[in-house]
Amino acid sequence: MAGDVLVIAEHWKGRPEAVTFQLIAKGREIADARRASLGVLVLGHDIGELAADLAGTGVDAVFVVDHRALGNAACGLLAEAAVASLREIAPALTLVGFTLVGMELAPAIATRLGVAAMTNCVNVECVDGEIVVAKPVYDGALHARVIFDRDAPALVALQAGATPTLPQPARAALVRALALDIESMPRRGEIVQFIEEPIGDVDIAKADIIVSAGRGVGDASKLPMIEACAKALGGLMGCSRPLVDQGWLPRERQVGASGKTVTPKIYIACGISGASQHLAGMSGAKMIVAINKDPNAPIFQVAHYGIVGDLFEIVPELTAQAKKS
Amino acid sequence: MKIVVCCKAVPGAVTDVAVETRGDALRFRSQFQSMNECDEYAMEEAVVLKRLYGGEIIALTIGGVSTQEILYTAAAKGADRIVRVDALAQDPRAASIVLAAALKTLAADLVLTGTQSRDSLSSFVGVATAQRLDVPFAFAVTAIEKDGDDAIKVRKELGGGRSADVRLPLPALVCVQTGIQPLNYVPPARLMRARQQRPQSLSLADLGLTLADIAPRGYRIASVAPPARAAGAQILSGPPAEAVRALLAKMAEAG
Repeated sequence: MAGDVLVIAEHWKGRPEAVTFQLIAKGREIADARRASLGVLVLGHDIGELAADLAGTGVDAVFVVDHRALGNAACGLLAEAAVASLREIAPALTLVGFTLVGMELAPAIATRLGVAAMTNCVNVECVDGEIVVAKPVYDGALHARVIFDRDAPALVALQAGATPTLPQPARAALVRALALDIESMPRRGEIVQFIEEPIGDVDIAKADIIVSAGRGVGDASKLPMIEACAKALGGLMGCSRPLVDQGWLPRERQVGASGKTVTPKIYIACGISGASQHLAGMSGAKMIVAINKDPNAPIFQVAHYGIVGDLFEIVPELTAQAKKS
Repeated sequence: MKIVVCCKAVPGAVTDVAVETRGDALRFRSQFQSMNECDEYAMEEAVVLKRLYGGEIIALTIGGVSTQEILYTAAAKGADRIVRVDALAQDPRAASIVLAAALKTLAADLVLTGTQSRDSLSSFVGVATAQRLDVPFAFAVTAIEKDGDDAIKVRKELGGGRSADVRLPLPALVCVQTGIQPLNYVPPARLMRARQQRPQSLSLADLGLTLADIAPRGYRIASVAPPARAAGAQILSGPPAEAVRALLAKMAEAG
């Protein structure tokens, strides 16, 4: 039907990822505004139960592509199957997560189907019947508001954690298996093995308070200052990706899309600008504090409290006062 | 192994940002342009692969003459040839069309890109280019090694601490994750020498493309502005001791 919305589900070991519920909530809102239906597409192997679960999440239809070869298709074949599914379903708007999986799927689908796409979006809505997105540009210092052409299909990749995962009342959803010829699709590469990184000695995901260091710390010699602050507050030190890339801290400390997703009571971001990859890992924290010298740093958009200033003055002060109290 | 590294010139500090009147592009001024950091990692990885397996490195970019600066950086880092397509790619789709056409003329075994550019922040061009070339691809790759004569094995991130090892037949396109190799400083003397190298320049016409082929379509940009601060974000001001005292009070409330 004209205006229909489709969410591509992301899942792992039989369970939907949080971003899937976020996409369903947004999809529901847009489908309702356009008096259209909302479907969810789930691709994988042995996903009957998952499909049944998704049928109760407020969608009107669940499209299932269940095939052995998709069980470990982290690249080419998954995109092939998604493209073939979209040809059949022909939605007006497709929503995918701007996750490491979605970053591979979105450009592949958009390019193959010739669909206009916007990725790394922080919001998508329907305004006067038009699909409007907001997305960061220039390191996130600016947001562009982009309007898709009316009546042309569109694809939006939405940042994980950027919009809420509001549970939707269940509807009578149709579960439909798509008959795709997966066997004859080109296999562009094959998975040799999956690797799940061990939790490591330090599990920041279990901490109530995380004090995280970003590029703003300047160099590795300043990390003890952050760690001392974390310790004084009874928490653990985390970090953003660049510090791991530099070899300053081990991967187990990394918060973000490619590291850990954390939901502590208090998250203090020190010298972290707030790239979407980082926000994806910590936006669920109950209280977010940002300490940064740049008042325009995107981190201040998600923080509940902010201190604009020199972290080399503020962090030791925080440590000292925390020790006293 | 013949490796092409796709790299983008990105603005440093951006000023005077506006939306073009037709709403199909952003206009801005920038004092200087540098190589997009994610692409620098791709360049460093190419240098390591050449050291291990031999071959040739070609650095490829799209843009006006001013973007040539980053090709000299690429040459100083180890690119044997530098190629610029003289065109303005206004969005990721346009960039993928131009790169795919240029890559067809270069016949690489392996194409390397970064994962994201700091201006567009779309993470789109690499995989879209692979689709246009109809070659295997992998995104967010943290390790690359040869696997026989006509394939590579890569480790790619899946998010949440998960990865996969994937075997890709060559030719292939790989979007390199940051941190795959350390970034090396380029000494000024080497950069000066690199400037002797003459970039090969290709026009859209050389690639059989027209401006219409790469014009943005399907959307318009309504506005670009600093994002509105979320309602909840409260700035604690005053000298450090005072701001920190206020912060600790808030933290105590949150419990």
